[in-house]
Amino acid sequence: MNNSLTKQQRMAAAREKINHKPNIRNRRLVQSLAFTFLWIMGFTTIAVLIWIVGYVFVKGFPSINMEFLTTRPAGGFDGEGGISTTIVTTVYLVIFTLAIAAPLGIGAAIYFVEYANEGQTRNKIIRWLVKTARTGVEILAGVPSIIFGLFGFAIFVSYLKLGFSLLSAGLSGACLVLPVIIRTTEEALLAVPESYREGSLGLGATKWQTVTGVVLPAAIPGIVTGIVLSVGRIISETAIFWVTLGGSYRLPQNLLSSGRTLALHVYMLATETRAFDKAMGTSAILIIIIIILNLAINLSSKYFQKRLSGK
Amino acid sequence: MRPIFSLIFNRNIMKITQNNQQKPESKFIFPKFLALFSLFISAAFLTTGFLSFFSVIDLSINKVLALVTGIILSTAFFLLAKGFYTLQNWARTTLLSILILIILVLLVKIIFEFSSIVFAGKQVLSIGEILKYIGKYFLRTILYMSIPGILFYFLYKCDEIFSETPRQRHLFDHTVKNFLLGTALSSILIVIFIFVFTFQESELAISEIGLKELLTGTIWRPGAIIGTDESHFGLVPMVIGSIYSTIGAIIIGIPLSFGTAILLAEIAPQSIRTIFRTAIELLSGIPSVVYGLFGMVVIAPLIRMIPIKGNTTGFGILNASIILSIMILPTVTNITEDAIRAVPQSYREASYALGATHWQTIKDVVLPAANSGIIAAVILGISRALGETMALIMVIGNSIAIPSPINDNPLSIIFSTARTLTGNIAVEINYASGAHRSALFFTGVLLFLFLLIINRLANHIMKGKKTS
Repeated sequence: MNNSLTKQQRMAAAREKINHKPNIRNRRLVQSLAFTFLWIMGFTTIAVLIWIVGYVFVKGFPSINMEFLTTRPAGGFDGEGGISTTIVTTVYLVIFTLAIAAPLGIGAAIYFVEYANEGQTRNKIIRWLVKTARTGVEILAGVPSIIFGLFGFAIFVSYLKLGFSLLSAGLSGACLVLPVIIRTTEEALLAVPESYREGSLGLGATKWQTVTGVVLPAAIPGIVTGIVLSVGRIISETAIFWVTLGGSYRLPQNLLSSGRTLALHVYMLATETRAFDKAMGTSAILIIIIIILNLAINLSSKYFQKRLSGK
Repeated sequence: MRPIFSLIFNRNIMKITQNNQQKPESKFIFPKFLALFSLFISAAFLTTGFLSFFSVIDLSINKVLALVTGIILSTAFFLLAKGFYTLQNWARTTLLSILILIILVLLVKIIFEFSSIVFAGKQVLSIGEILKYIGKYFLRTILYMSIPGILFYFLYKCDEIFSETPRQRHLFDHTVKNFLLGTALSSILIVIFIFVFTFQESELAISEIGLKELLTGTIWRPGAIIGTDESHFGLVPMVIGSIYSTIGAIIIGIPLSFGTAILLAEIAPQSIRTIFRTAIELLSGIPSVVYGLFGMVVIAPLIRMIPIKGNTTGFGILNASIILSIMILPTVTNITEDAIRAVPQSYREASYALGATHWQTIKDVVLPAANSGIIAAVILGISRALGETMALIMVIGNSIAIPSPINDNPLSIIFSTARTLTGNIAVEINYASGAHRSALFFTGVLLFLFLLIINRLANHIMKGKKTS
């Protein structure tokens, strides 16, 4: 009795196994449903991007013309005038910020990659310092921009009495982009094959000669990628400059004068005036700049890979 | 492509063997001339210092300072002259650096002048006029650059006649190394400065208002502005605003980003993947104010059309959540995709061999294997959402009350206006003073510490996965 029941059960199980067609069909159905869902998700992402960029371009392009680009904002509640001074201020700020952040960041990355693992780091204090510095970079990379703004406001604007100025904004901005530059430069340096260094050292060059003559030239496109990335960061950043750069629409005459960047101008137009069309025009220009920068990053990283793989 | 720094520092390695060789005669005149030139500058500095000290000429700075500066600069240039006379390489490096500095300063000056004429005008300039200015400033640039440029060129060309001893080379190497350590420490220095300054500024709030009121008070009313009854500094409304908008962003944004990430990592062909990646890169690059503007102009009217009682503004938590979800999308998608790609191919192959379909493999093998990376992605998304400022100010309505449902339905709280911690800082810091200002700094400290912990947690999760 018992035996036959198990046999029956076994038969049923076997029949079910043989009759696997509905199971496969079922699984295929579930799979195609799930994949459709994923494709919908993916295309929603793209649709959102196209919607935003398309809307800004369609509404923004009519207000862009020569006059818009070459006159300064007139101030007031109507948002009259163009954006010339904001473009120039943005360029100043980018150059000034990078002039501070790029040497610091590239130097730090060189130390992390080329020197930190040398035999000399048997010295305990230096090993501890390097570890702390790496943690510092990680922390900085996660700090939101408004905290950098608060910091810049406390130390540069109030404590050092630099006021709302290009100088305060540039120094605070440099803190913001420093981790970006350090990380990308580190990656670029690590990608340079060890044999390059060995070849140079074997010819009798010193460490520094190896770094400047061999490693850095090979890593230049990667470093450029980092710099372009940070240019994008500075251009699109608002919060940090809102509390350190002030918001004057006049052209900065020197490093101690206030100004406003393109992104800040968008914010001020949108919140303080009725000129939404001009805000859209400025946004369109911002997006165009970002697209160009992204293209530059893609080109330079492609060039970098081609070069390191031996042309 | 020879970058600037290799121009300056590229001491020809072959030089080591050339030191003992006979050097070509004609090239020796140029360094001698440079030595004379440096000596002349040195003398000029010394004379100026002394003349200023004895009040013969007026430099409108402190006399002693002028003398000391003059003596120091003249000594430096004298050393430079001696270096050139004995054909030392460090002299060449120094002069090249000085020349680059001069060229840069001149360029900056010309750019400042040019842009202040062309761009600062209230009237639009005609094309002809702009071209005229471009030509004028181009000529001026050439004029200014000619002397430093020619010097630079010759100095760069005759690099093989300069030499240095191994000891100098070693010393230089050592100095550079220590200098680089200094730059490496700048990041931790900035972190310490952030701590010190924000803590110091928030001290007043802790002593005057008290931690209890700051953390549990439900009213935010800086009396200094309103000028009526006593002021209250409770941060609870802002904390709630931040939490609600972040939760909303997670609910809307996470499914989208996970779907996109799985699609890109597992299903989509290479060509589609390239397009999607470019799009996501662009999405992460778009300035936050543009998102904020989009929320104000497009999303707000759409929300206003939802037929619910009391829904009048379109600004509020729902709008903020939508905008935030778009902003965290690139971060979460990228990290999730990386985590999925990091799952070894052998896992998938084993699953296929057992007869699982592609979807079963993804659902039961790949995603569980990548879960730590996915959790880290969500945490980083939350951190990004909590730190966002300007876009939220533009769409959330910025009311200082605790968000509450706008009608009988408790779910209608998503249409309520609110204010975030970050927005609170950015809106009020520019005119705040005293305890008010200090309370805002306290908000910053709170946010900083919280995000620090969150980010360390995410880093820890990701790193723990890598090593195991």
